[in-house]
Amino acid sequence: MQNYLLAMCLLLCLTAMSTNVAAQPWVSLTPPQREALAPMARQWDTLPEPQRQRLLKTAQHYSKLTPEQKQRYQERLVKWSELTPEQRKAAREKYSAFNKVPAEKREQVKQMVKEEQARHAQQSASGVSAVPALK
Amino acid sequence: MTNELDSSKFDPYPLDPQKVVRLLTQSTRQLDGATLTALVNARQNALKKQLVRAPIFALHPAGLHASPSWANRLLPLSAQPWVTTWLAAGLLAAALIAGTGYWQHLQEQQINELDVAILTDELPIEVFVD
Repeated sequence: MQNYLLAMCLLLCLTAMSTNVAAQPWVSLTPPQREALAPMARQWDTLPEPQRQRLLKTAQHYSKLTPEQKQRYQERLVKWSELTPEQRKAAREKYSAFNKVPAEKREQVKQMVKEEQARHAQQSASGVSAVPALK
Repeated sequence: MTNELDSSKFDPYPLDPQKVVRLLTQSTRQLDGATLTALVNARQNALKKQLVRAPIFALHPAGLHASPSWANRLLPLSAQPWVTTWLAAGLLAAALIAGTGYWQHLQEQQINELDVAILTDELPIEVFVD
């Protein structure tokens, strides 16, 4: 009796967990998805499926972004997808932590970063990262 | 059944419930100790059997006067406790799966929102990447 119950629970859990969406090649994406993920067109089919699914989810927000945000989104997509899962996880944690900092301090950091960017704007060709990472 | 009803309908001396109670009380007093003990034991045995068969989750028919068919459908569960055990286990498993699924959904939603925020924030992505 207990074995049957255990087997049933296990079966139901496995069924619930195995709800992966089938792989979506670039050609099967909708025009709005392709527009949002355009910078990823070349490497899309080589990305692991979980990463594709995650990028597709972010692309759902694309139509609601401002033109400036759309530009940033597309500029950062390739770099973001080149990070390892651990780096992306660390970046999310860092971003969450940064958002808990008082607004005035956040503004100070933003101002500092902008100044740094302006200072190094002409040195972009050197290949050195213009902005230091938050520690 | 119909005959009994008809006969009581035309009975010129209908039974008075109070009188019946009095008669039964008097009769009981006339019973000897052994008979009374046997009756008490029989009653206790009947109550014990009823307790064993008491439903765990089955609905009481008193609350189902409006739809006696529901009572008929649900009452047999009380006679088979393993059905209620399976039902409880199934509900527990369903609740567990639903809870896990909902938690995963919330996690995914949170990650998605963070990804969009990082990809569109004023601060460049390098700030958050080692």
